[in-house]
Amino acid sequence: MKLLVVRVALSAAVATLLCILALPMISLLVRLSPRELLHQLAQPVVLTALGLSLETSIATTALVIVLGLPVAYLLATKEFTGKRVLQTLVEIPIVLPPTVAGVGLLLAFGRAGLAGGALKALGIELPFTTLAVVMAQVFVATPFFISAATAGIASVERRYTEAAATLGATPGYGFFRVLLPLALPSVLAGAAMSWARALGEFGATITFAGNLPGRTQTMPLAVYTALQNDLAAAVALSVLLVILSFTILLGLRFAPWGAAVGGAPARPRGR
Amino acid sequence: MEALLLDLAVAKRFDAFALALETTVADNETLVVVGESGAGKSTLLRLVAGLERPDRGRIAVGSRIYFDSGSKVDLPPWRRRTGYVAQDHALFPHLTVFDNVAFGLRAAGRSPFDILTRVTDALVRLDVGDLGERRPAEISGGQAQRVALARVLVLDPDVLLLDEPLAALDLRTRAQVRGVLRTVLATLPSPCATLFVTHDPLEAMVFGDRIAALEDGQVTQIGSREELLARPRSPYVAAFLGINMFRGRIVSRDGGIVRIRTAPDGGELSAVDPGAGGAEVVAIVHPREITLFRQAPGGSAQNTYVGVITELVPEPPHGERVRVALATQPPLVAEVTDRAVLQLDLREGLQVTAMFKATGVTVFR
Repeated sequence: MKLLVVRVALSAAVATLLCILALPMISLLVRLSPRELLHQLAQPVVLTALGLSLETSIATTALVIVLGLPVAYLLATKEFTGKRVLQTLVEIPIVLPPTVAGVGLLLAFGRAGLAGGALKALGIELPFTTLAVVMAQVFVATPFFISAATAGIASVERRYTEAAATLGATPGYGFFRVLLPLALPSVLAGAAMSWARALGEFGATITFAGNLPGRTQTMPLAVYTALQNDLAAAVALSVLLVILSFTILLGLRFAPWGAAVGGAPARPRGR
Repeated sequence: MEALLLDLAVAKRFDAFALALETTVADNETLVVVGESGAGKSTLLRLVAGLERPDRGRIAVGSRIYFDSGSKVDLPPWRRRTGYVAQDHALFPHLTVFDNVAFGLRAAGRSPFDILTRVTDALVRLDVGDLGERRPAEISGGQAQRVALARVLVLDPDVLLLDEPLAALDLRTRAQVRGVLRTVLATLPSPCATLFVTHDPLEAMVFGDRIAALEDGQVTQIGSREELLARPRSPYVAAFLGINMFRGRIVSRDGGIVRIRTAPDGGELSAVDPGAGGAEVVAIVHPREITLFRQAPGGSAQNTYVGVITELVPEPPHGERVRVALATQPPLVAEVTDRAVLQLDLREGLQVTAMFKATGVTVFR
């Protein structure tokens, strides 16, 4: 009797959660016929947004890797004062509402922002540019890469880096020939998570970079805009995003290093 | 007269103990460091390799100073020319055997041709020439250990640091790799001092030109194997070498023979009078001096003990000699031939009589 109650409760929990998670996906996928879907996707607005999204999210991922790897290396291998502070600092964007991030970026790099004057003197104006989109994405996507890469680098056994050092490898040589290859699964998983997060970025982008088609209107922004007057286009874009996200996750799961995904400590919050 | 190569004087404090060692190791000499786990053996190697830093001291190889707390020299590991082989070989799992062995040469920026010839040569020398394309996960433990040796030897190190290189291997493989290692150490092409850490007495005897015993971070004895065998200076060294060693005091003298009461077991033994001096002495009985009987023969031996066999241990490598531990007072270890074991039908739990002459006891103060 008791067992039955437990079973029913478990089943109910699973069914409810499945409804909340799966029903929206299914609703998106069945809304349009394949013909209609293709027709909608061929619209210039959609193609432009798709192009911009891919462009910016890939640029973001590259930037996140280049800037994030040294930080991950420091956090994983060195002890220094302020390490906890740095660790917390790079994790803040995970819990910060993206719109708040956008406001922060605006106040820092906007025309009247803290660094705005200096940037203007150099002839750089960030807000409402594609570069601003990338900055917003870097802000929200970096933590996912850093936490995965830090965990990956920290998990490489010291005997390997020590062996490299005694064989005459400088720390730099050892990093690229031993540490990075051995941590690669986690690093790639982190990069993929960052990419997915960048692809779904909405709040910080619309706040800091605005919603200009062709310049700052990425796919999530285009979905939001289309929703106001053209439901079919919004659905088509959404379907595309679902498929992209799903493919990234599936790719991570079935990649040769698939096991590492479970080790990635955080998941992007799509928006 | 060989030129001094490795000059070592280091001290380092830890929570539990302090490590201190001062010695020199010559070209193509092997200093075996023995000690129980936790005695600081591995730390010693890591200090020389530069993986840990001494509190103070000096480490120099020839005219090259690795570390000197006085003049604030501390070369990083990659600028020391040490060949460090860890117990678990630490081959890079993502690289092939060839690339593992080529690693140091590539880091040094050698030419591809140079790398090809040297790596091939090193692999052949260690009898793993056909494994170049394999990954570490695809070779056996003995092969991995040989590859690890090739990986450091290919760099012609000034100092070879071997941390229990055979400990992770099973008995049969260990014998094979031991043979290879002996040949390699005997035929090193360039001047090289070797520090070899082990807790295996056989390895210490086989490899050690000199042996240093490390107990709780302190060197209790350092010398040739003959010196250690003849005069072990601590119970650990004696036990390690398989020698019966007792601390005790002379309680009576009679016609050139002294009676010694051993501590802490309170047993007694007779030995040739060591002459004038204090009563506190050390007595050593080599296990081969002890004869075992099923029945007490009643003869001339001054030292006769009756006790039960607690352990029978065949000696490596082939077991033609067997060590017999006895619950006598004082406790004795005898060494007999495997034939004697068969003839006397020795087994654990059997009561036997052990005898040795007073002249078989070495006494010193």
